[in-house]
Amino acid sequence: MTRFVASTITFPYKRSLGPVVGAFMSALTERRILGIRNGAAVLVPPMEWDPTTGAELAHDFVEVGPAGTIKSWTWVPFPSEQHPLAHPFAFALILLDGSTTPLLHAVDAGSPNAMVEGARVAPRWRGTRLGRIDDIVCFIPGETPETEGDDTGPTEEPVTRMDYLASITYRNPVPDATDRAIEASKDQCLLGLRCPTCKRVYAGGRGYCPIDALELGPDCEVELPHVGTITNFCIVTPVQYPGQTETEPFVRAFVLLDGTDVIIPYAVVIDLPADEVRVGQRVAGVWASPAEEMDEGGGMGGAWGALTGWIPNGEPDVDDPDLVNRIF
Amino acid sequence: MPSRSEMGRGGDIAIVGWAQTPMERHTEKSETQLLMDVISAALAPLGLTRADIDFTCLGSCDYITGQAFSFVSNLDAIGAWPPKRDSHVEMDGAWALYEAWLRLQEGDIEIAVVTGSGRSSTGDPSLIYPMEMDPYFLAPLGADPLTFAALQARAVIASGIADERSMAEVAIRSRSRGDVDALLAEDYIREPLRRHDVPPITDGAAAMVVATGDRARRLVERPAYITGFDHRTECHNPSFRALDDSPSTRLAAEAAGLGDGPIEVAELQAAFTHEELLLADVLDLGDDVSVNPSGGALRANPIMATGLCRIGHAADHVMSGGHRALAHSTSGPCLQQNLVCIVADTP
Repeated sequence: MTRFVASTITFPYKRSLGPVVGAFMSALTERRILGIRNGAAVLVPPMEWDPTTGAELAHDFVEVGPAGTIKSWTWVPFPSEQHPLAHPFAFALILLDGSTTPLLHAVDAGSPNAMVEGARVAPRWRGTRLGRIDDIVCFIPGETPETEGDDTGPTEEPVTRMDYLASITYRNPVPDATDRAIEASKDQCLLGLRCPTCKRVYAGGRGYCPIDALELGPDCEVELPHVGTITNFCIVTPVQYPGQTETEPFVRAFVLLDGTDVIIPYAVVIDLPADEVRVGQRVAGVWASPAEEMDEGGGMGGAWGALTGWIPNGEPDVDDPDLVNRIF
Repeated sequence: MPSRSEMGRGGDIAIVGWAQTPMERHTEKSETQLLMDVISAALAPLGLTRADIDFTCLGSCDYITGQAFSFVSNLDAIGAWPPKRDSHVEMDGAWALYEAWLRLQEGDIEIAVVTGSGRSSTGDPSLIYPMEMDPYFLAPLGADPLTFAALQARAVIASGIADERSMAEVAIRSRSRGDVDALLAEDYIREPLRRHDVPPITDGAAAMVVATGDRARRLVERPAYITGFDHRTECHNPSFRALDDSPSTRLAAEAAGLGDGPIEVAELQAAFTHEELLLADVLDLGDDVSVNPSGGALRANPIMATGLCRIGHAADHVMSGGHRALAHSTSGPCLQQNLVCIVADTP
């Protein structure tokens, strides 16, 4: 059975709004909805450019709604975590009074029987508004807008930016070669796979030869040496993005294993400060003891399993001007 | 660079073969492994190896894979040594074919491989696709593909192009199973759409081999010549479009020369039943045209490969004795962007 791992990727976007979308979002905090004139048309939501010709539109805003008419709709019987309402609701194309293009939004109608083309709806505003399309919680049947909870009023400054947190959970298969490499690492074995065609050796759980496009099975396994030479390195100065755990500059090195053509890329180094790392330095693999092993293995992560990193082994440097070119 | 006329017969470009992986709800293979298999399967019957390939273009989507630059690991499947001419489109493999078709017209190379690949089961499509929508007005509402399809279906029904019964008939013909009255008795999942109106979630990949004229004729008896190829796009926000029409499909078909002669088969990337009826109407397909004999996207919908499979099936029609076929691919909500490829038995 193939093993699967789940991972969640989160992107905390900060989006600039620009002069047109920004004006629309700022007006939402005042419980007003703006369209933009495009000849005889009034576009809602407003665009910076004519959707047909691409011509830039003058910033001629028109207040529309807040009530409008249902032009089309569909019923959502099982809302997702991303939807505006947790109970069944309608998504509808709503032609707000004074606009010529419909706005997509949710309608809290109770039942699909209440949804009909031509029905009138009005916004339910959030009490605390940030300048986002979901400052309107949803639309409700009738002509009269309502506000949810205490109204904290418009923002003091015009809204120029919108935060959007995108988060996706993925489940990916772990190739057998990766699991075999992790398993071998628990016995302090650095597993390689030798391509039967070109004889190149690959480490890190890569289950195929990218040159011959061949899958490499257990019969291709070889044990690799634990000693090598740093061919190249970089010093990473961490930027404090969300999820970053490093705070100080750190080294990532490329290690050429003795007697092989195998490069260990982006290797973690141990007891080797950033100002002492150099090309030609001799290093040896360090393994986590079973007691130290975390769920994710040693410090190298992923297919490297219990391999924690690489430590200077005290041998004299290798003096070879070609070493620096070896990063794969 | 030689002009089209200088290229003469060498200017012809034809599909000479293609392959697809098994189409599964959930594969245990990685996307790279899928490509490894399917590229080999496309090349082997032609007696070609990866060393014979002058250019590759892969179509895939990082959003689906959940990995930035996921196409870089997919390169492991093409045997990129010595270094190859390679490109990637963050689009269905049908657009990868479009790029290869352009590239082959340069006249300096003979054979290209294009792929489309995607493991939709890696994530939850209903949660991923809303994040690809307009980030200001649509993504924050979780506006999802089923919702957009339902709104378009309502518009197509209102215009008289489809009704719920004809939509069910499309589903039955595509999947070779079901009974109209039984299907219409089911609940809506997004009114007016029922379960049978929506595509399956599919993992899969396809690979296609294209060659310049003389080389194509040496490789196979009946190459499927690409005689016309075009794609057009519309405004990103469906609010600003007429949802009961697809002007970009119409323009692409005109530019690809659909009107130059009859076609026998149309393979349309219609993930939803009403889309097939709308596209057939916009393309003005007669009753004598067989629409989606492969079962289309309603039978298997490997996102990023679905469109390339349409072109593959249209090419199969020509390579197995047919004369002329149309293939269509699409991208974006409510048929935002549309591609039309015409294949024929003569250049």
